[in-house]
Amino acid sequence: MGIGAEDALVRVTPLSHPEKDAASIAREVLEELLSRMKIPATVELQVGEESTINLEVVGDDLGILIGRRGQTLYSIQFIVRLIVAHRLREMVPISIDVEGYRKRRREALRELALRMAEQVRTSGQSVTLEPMPPDERRTLHLVLADMPDITTISVGEGEARKVTIIPKGRT
Amino acid sequence: MRELIEYIARSIVTAPDEVKVTEEPSGEWIVLKLEVAQEDKGRVIGKQGRVAQAMRTLLRVAAVREGTRAMLEIV
Repeated sequence: MGIGAEDALVRVTPLSHPEKDAASIAREVLEELLSRMKIPATVELQVGEESTINLEVVGDDLGILIGRRGQTLYSIQFIVRLIVAHRLREMVPISIDVEGYRKRRREALRELALRMAEQVRTSGQSVTLEPMPPDERRTLHLVLADMPDITTISVGEGEARKVTIIPKGRT
Repeated sequence: MRELIEYIARSIVTAPDEVKVTEEPSGEWIVLKLEVAQEDKGRVIGKQGRVAQAMRTLLRVAAVREGTRAMLEIV
């Protein structure tokens, strides 16, 4: 080894941008799932400013993919994240939306949060909202984070976890 | 329905070749039996059964699309 050997030529190929790879894998996985669920729909990759991969399912009559309180949508997202994480050996932030459901829901939650905060402020009584998935609770906490006279906490376990709005000084 | 469960299971286990899904009619229902390698069982069930529950939710959609009802058993 080494004696009389020529200089080795090493070709270095730069790794392709990991996020781009993850995004196309995520999209492909979602398409594979939809076709096996017999749902005719297309998947669009939304380019956002965050590092999260945003996928949007577009098609007709996709309510079946959303389910009660978005349960089905969350299951799809959970499975896609799991498969992509298994393939890439790391967790990748992926967010899936169907026909703008999440966007509409976020708007509705923002209004609900402000209304409930007002109620808590005037009545001095805590209000507990219905159970919500993690990102919906997060939306509520964020919307109300800057309000001076109330605080928000999450109570309960798992799927029964809900946001409570509490007047400050009574925590 | 079988292809859906097969695809998900094969994509999350360490021994995809050992994934087997069978479909058996049982009255109005179709029972899908999912078999994986012993060491992969935890992966298809998940913490607090979350993976199994999510698979069942997606299976329900596929079943509705095919005009039937389906049940998933992990054996």
